[in-house]
Amino acid sequence: MRAFVGVAGTLLGGAVAVALAGTVLAHATTAPHQLRAQVSGTASTPQGELPHAFLELDTWPDSMAGEHGPSGGSHPDWVSYGPASSLSVPAHSLVTVTIRQYDTGGELNNDFFGTVRGTVDGTATVDGRAVTQVDPTEVGHTFTIHAIPSSQDPLFVSVPLPAVADDAPVLDNGYPAPHVITFSFITGGPGSYVWQCEYPCGDGTYANFGGPMSAQGYMEGTLTVG
Amino acid sequence: MVDTAVAETAIGREPRRRVPRLNVLTGVVCGLILAGAGWGVSSWLLSAGDYGADRVVSITMVCWAVGFLVGVGALAGPIRWLLGRDLSVADEHVLAGKDQGVGRYFRFTTDHKVVGVQYLVLSMTLFGVGGLLAMLIRTQLIRPGARFVSPQTYNTIVGMHGIIMIIGTIIMVSGPFGNFILPIMIGARDMAFPRLNALSFWLICAAVPVLLATFFFGGIPTGWSVYAPLSDQAPAGMDCFLITIIIFAISSGIAGVNITTTAVKMRARGMTWTRTPIFVFGTVSSVALGVIAFPMFMAAMVLEGLNRTTGTVFYDAAHGGSAWLYAHLFWLMGHPEVYVILLPAFAAVLELTPVFARKPLFSFLGAVTGIAGIIGLSMFVWAHHMFISGWAPALDGPFMLTTELISIPTGLLILVLLGTLWRGTVWMRLPVMATFAMLWNFIIGGITGIYLSDVPVDQAMHGSMFVTAHFHFTLMGGALTGFAGALAYWFPKMTGRMLDERLGMIGFWIIQIGFNVTFLGMFAVGLAGQPRRVADYPSLFATGNLVSSIGAYIIGSGALIYLYAVVHSWRHGRRAPGNPWGAKTLEWQVPTPVPLENFTVLPVVTSDFYGYGEGGSAAPTPAPRRIAAPVPSGAAATTQEGGTA
Repeated sequence: MRAFVGVAGTLLGGAVAVALAGTVLAHATTAPHQLRAQVSGTASTPQGELPHAFLELDTWPDSMAGEHGPSGGSHPDWVSYGPASSLSVPAHSLVTVTIRQYDTGGELNNDFFGTVRGTVDGTATVDGRAVTQVDPTEVGHTFTIHAIPSSQDPLFVSVPLPAVADDAPVLDNGYPAPHVITFSFITGGPGSYVWQCEYPCGDGTYANFGGPMSAQGYMEGTLTVG
Repeated sequence: MVDTAVAETAIGREPRRRVPRLNVLTGVVCGLILAGAGWGVSSWLLSAGDYGADRVVSITMVCWAVGFLVGVGALAGPIRWLLGRDLSVADEHVLAGKDQGVGRYFRFTTDHKVVGVQYLVLSMTLFGVGGLLAMLIRTQLIRPGARFVSPQTYNTIVGMHGIIMIIGTIIMVSGPFGNFILPIMIGARDMAFPRLNALSFWLICAAVPVLLATFFFGGIPTGWSVYAPLSDQAPAGMDCFLITIIIFAISSGIAGVNITTTAVKMRARGMTWTRTPIFVFGTVSSVALGVIAFPMFMAAMVLEGLNRTTGTVFYDAAHGGSAWLYAHLFWLMGHPEVYVILLPAFAAVLELTPVFARKPLFSFLGAVTGIAGIIGLSMFVWAHHMFISGWAPALDGPFMLTTELISIPTGLLILVLLGTLWRGTVWMRLPVMATFAMLWNFIIGGITGIYLSDVPVDQAMHGSMFVTAHFHFTLMGGALTGFAGALAYWFPKMTGRMLDERLGMIGFWIIQIGFNVTFLGMFAVGLAGQPRRVADYPSLFATGNLVSSIGAYIIGSGALIYLYAVVHSWRHGRRAPGNPWGAKTLEWQVPTPVPLENFTVLPVVTSDFYGYGEGGSAAPTPAPRRIAAPVPSGAAATTQEGGTA
């Protein structure tokens, strides 16, 4: 009987230890706020008449203007997307994304991401001008949606966001005047995807793909289609 | 004469006043003080610039380690020597923990038996932490789309689980049994360098908090292999990891030199190499291999530390460095390290199997040849981890060949085990269960390893869960199972108590069942293409992952039952006789508990130790009342109760 109680107590203790550790770690990073695309009317697309949804995003040179609050959270100096990195768009819809790009930049590691891919007509507009690619040596960030191989509909969208000039005028909010990039893509059925920036804007002394580049809530996030 | 005696007494009192007061608590206090000072000074002088945070964290961690070692008393001997007041015999007895009760386990104690027990507790603690992280990993992967922890946290958990288990398994046999058992087994009074022995243990104790501190500095989202350039991009937790590895490499180097020297120079008279127990061969081979292998990892970490703190570019191809350099240094450690873990555990099972089969070890020379073959080849297989890295494709074939060749000496060890069991009447006690489980698990792990050594298969399977399942079958199914058997075998000698076999058996076999459920399921999803080290997966892998997670919880339950059996038996178990298994090696011929200097008079060996049931298999009888030592000793024969006859 004593052995049974001892074993039961040990098992219980082990379960409690795992639960405690899991709870602490799970709450170490709070679930990000989800930004839902606003549906407004319908639009004619190559796939027929579809609901039209709109998303508005920003890219900041720090983390003090987005979901991490004015203090910037634990990494105020990290570049970030805003106002949220967890995005939600409707299925079988035309989604139009507008991004205000406030950050400077430089050269892409991979020119592939200098071309607009996966959008309607393969184009995007930069400050009202239609483009199919941007200079790969002057990219601020990219907005690139990836899918993992699975039974859900494939989705790949990649749009380069031009860099803001170093001498761009400074606005009242303290950031330089942004480029405004707009593009549209069509969603398939429900699914879960990830998006990230493919311009090396993160931590590291030479590769720069660490820190915000590999942290959800900064330069990567999720896109839920549903 | 009188003056000398007075002087020795005076010197002898000195450490009684100072050394015993130093313990793990003073070590922690000293470490924290020095770490605080290091943090303050480095923040003041070095925190500016791109590398400031890395410099501050690195210096703080080094200061902690040095402070801890000073505080625990690790430097008392050298300081006394520098002051011209070297330790006397009486001082050495104080340092050895003579008459100090339980407190000696929390001090810088030089007695090899104390160090062995310290290693045992440390390795089991590491397994507890690493196992807990494994439960979290399997909880995250229990179903697709689970958001139990964030992807970044998951990555750090995977990396920390890996390195904690690697450190735990490296020390799990060579540490506890290599320290407690090996010197007695070869007829020595202690290790060759007792103070270095204690230093190797306390170095790891200094390193463990540094490793755990990675959680508070952003973790290591790279996996434990910390490949460049991922390690360059990682947060400051990576600096903690680097310091940990450097300290651990120093510790393992010291331990390796110490154990090797002890086995080579301190064997009892008459203990020729052909009369030396196979466990000694396995342990010495392992630690000697570690002395060669771990400095590679240390060098890799030093270079990465320089990259992160001074801006060097050793692994930056764009500036003349090479990421392959890191891969080479890592795998020059990484593959021999597999055998560093495996060999002592395998040797422990080879050691205990004849005792319970009541037969001589089948082909002692075959076992030694197998160990030597593994050691020899293990330094020439590392690049099979780099088949798809693009480095020297022309060498893929040769490295495939050397990797496949290493299965021959490994198979030889399997044959020795099978031959020892063959037609034996096995005494089915808990320790020998490890033999059966290891045979099953390790053969699966070994054969899948042969597949993976094949270049085309590796190109398909590289980075998949198949690889994860393979190395768990070798390291956990093989080595950790061997450790469980070794613990059950030597538990009576180390603790003076018998391990509760009923609970031990239940725990052991629950672990084995859970283990096979977990990792056979993982083979399936790996074959289907699931990548490792990823926090989420498509729904087509759902069933296999659910099975693996259920298996992992079964392992956890079994491990807790086994742990309870160990802890409860240690405190309340039946008192163990001196030689409960009727074994013939020297450690079973000394009393339990083992006296401070092990032997009253050093033994002389006249035969090997495997003469069980010579001329036929002996009946599985309990240990005989009196065991003739295999040593007509120039000294004393010993009885089962341990008293000197």
